[in-house]
Amino acid sequence: MPQIVLGQLLNGAIVGTLYGILALGVTLTFSITGIVNFALGAFMMTGAYGTWYLTSVHGVPYGLAVPLATLGTAVIGLVADRALFRFTRNDLINGLLVSIGLIGVFDNVTLMIWTSTPHTIDVPVGGSVAVFGVYLPRMKLIVCAVLAAVVGATYFALRHTWAGRAAHSYAQAPEAAELMGVRTEFLQSSVFVYSTALAGLGGALYASLYSIDPTIGGPFVLKAIEGAILAGIGSVLGALIGGIILGVTESVGALFLPLSFGNAYGLVFLVLILLFRPNGLFAGRR
Amino acid sequence: MSRNVLAQCALALAAVALPVFVKNDVVLTILVFSFLASILAVSFNLIFGITGQLSMFHAAAFGIGAYATYIAMHDLAVSFWTASALAAAFVVMVSLVIGAICFRFRLKAFYFAVVTLAFAEMARLVVVNWYSVTNGTLGINLSQRPVLAVLGRSITFESTLSWYYLALLALFATILVCGRCVDSWMGRCFAAIRLNDELGDALGINIFRYKLLAFGIGNMLAAFAGALYAYFLGSIQPAYLSVGQSLAIIAMVLLGGQRRVAAPVVGAIFLTLLPHIIDLSAEMRAVVHGAILIFAILLLPKGIVGTVETWVRRRAA
Repeated sequence: MPQIVLGQLLNGAIVGTLYGILALGVTLTFSITGIVNFALGAFMMTGAYGTWYLTSVHGVPYGLAVPLATLGTAVIGLVADRALFRFTRNDLINGLLVSIGLIGVFDNVTLMIWTSTPHTIDVPVGGSVAVFGVYLPRMKLIVCAVLAAVVGATYFALRHTWAGRAAHSYAQAPEAAELMGVRTEFLQSSVFVYSTALAGLGGALYASLYSIDPTIGGPFVLKAIEGAILAGIGSVLGALIGGIILGVTESVGALFLPLSFGNAYGLVFLVLILLFRPNGLFAGRR
Repeated sequence: MSRNVLAQCALALAAVALPVFVKNDVVLTILVFSFLASILAVSFNLIFGITGQLSMFHAAAFGIGAYATYIAMHDLAVSFWTASALAAAFVVMVSLVIGAICFRFRLKAFYFAVVTLAFAEMARLVVVNWYSVTNGTLGINLSQRPVLAVLGRSITFESTLSWYYLALLALFATILVCGRCVDSWMGRCFAAIRLNDELGDALGINIFRYKLLAFGIGNMLAAFAGALYAYFLGSIQPAYLSVGQSLAIIAMVLLGGQRRVAAPVVGAIFLTLLPHIIDLSAEMRAVVHGAILIFAILLLPKGIVGTVETWVRRRAA
């Protein structure tokens, strides 16, 4: 029994890092542009399909396909920002509805091109390793490490570069930041595009672990929003931890409680957090 | 103002007289669906546009209303009307509990939306998994039809025409109830909450009570809409409670306009008609639907009714 619990714990943590990378996108977009981008799930799906298309159809090596797909997603994100989200800054409801419309467009264009048949790519790194007596596929560990590294790099970039400090100051006092020479329009666009790139990367790595179909984004983005709120909107490392907590809650909860309510445990947890710790679990720390 | 009332009366009369000229069953069916969607949109606007609370529970109230009506008719063997009243009472109880939790903890804006969304998802999971009562994802086929006994004669609501008038009557009743609320002392408290709830609190308005009132009335009307929708369609599915349904309602309100009680009707009719007007494949239709939603939000920030009103006023001036 302890073996199963440990296995579920580790698996949950790995799925949780995937929630975490999207949660980071959600939290950054919300802090800087003032909207919750539900379409991040659609961008994740784009990244996943891009990777699948490059590797399985064109035979590009996986290591090259991931950055290419991430870059492609970022370009689409840039177009979406310039054409649409530029007009919904700090307008939560309009931003929400525009991203919902965008999800409809993305999902159905994907359906038209590649149909609803699930696709898989060949596992780029095979084999598994034993961690505390639990066998985990190597690929899962690599995905987990890459995502954690990206979140860590984002954290350090936000603390130690001029652009990062500009973002922090903008999140705290937009007008003061503008007066101090922060190019706010540029900052908002870059943060938006960066969050879509994060989603694309999440999708590209997701494609190596699970089969993909046009509907994978929806549930993930809801989890990501839950994760971002759990940690408190605005917290970078918190987004990763929030995602992991959510993943672990679900996978361990599934062992002891009825499986069909799997999605409800995260929700109950979320409601309790919002009622009793409305600023998130790590309020006061950034 | 009187001009406005006149225009609304003219539209209402036109809606009543329409079946005399339009005999096409398909057109009438689509109109019944758009009237039922309008009830949802108008009642949602009481919570969202008038009181300023972004509730994501509306589709859940709609779905619970539908299921509870079926359960009451099936298990208690009461008429459709009694059953829908019981269902509405049940939904009001549920929304009072959820509303009390949310408003007691002073959840606002995005956080209120997330918590109501979480409760709506929990309600959906219960419906999907409580197989013995709700038949899970398969849903329930409804064979019974509402019967109305008037002066010793009984009318069975079976033909599209009878449903047309029932739905229209329900829509009028909804607009009347919401309109009366907004024009009364309640409406002024709702507006105070929307504009600045802390100031309202300081001036002695019990904002907790009035938020709860708006949430309860809105959800009660949604429950009635759910009962009618289910028995018109002849089936109930868990998709009634989906997030997508709530978002569709929000889109209707934003497209129609938020500041007037009846404005969401325009958005509801437009969005219900749209898929039938554009003749494309299902995927292409969804793409066009999404694109229209995006551009309507970006280009018509006041909604169709608000834009037309501004335009008329500018021409008159």
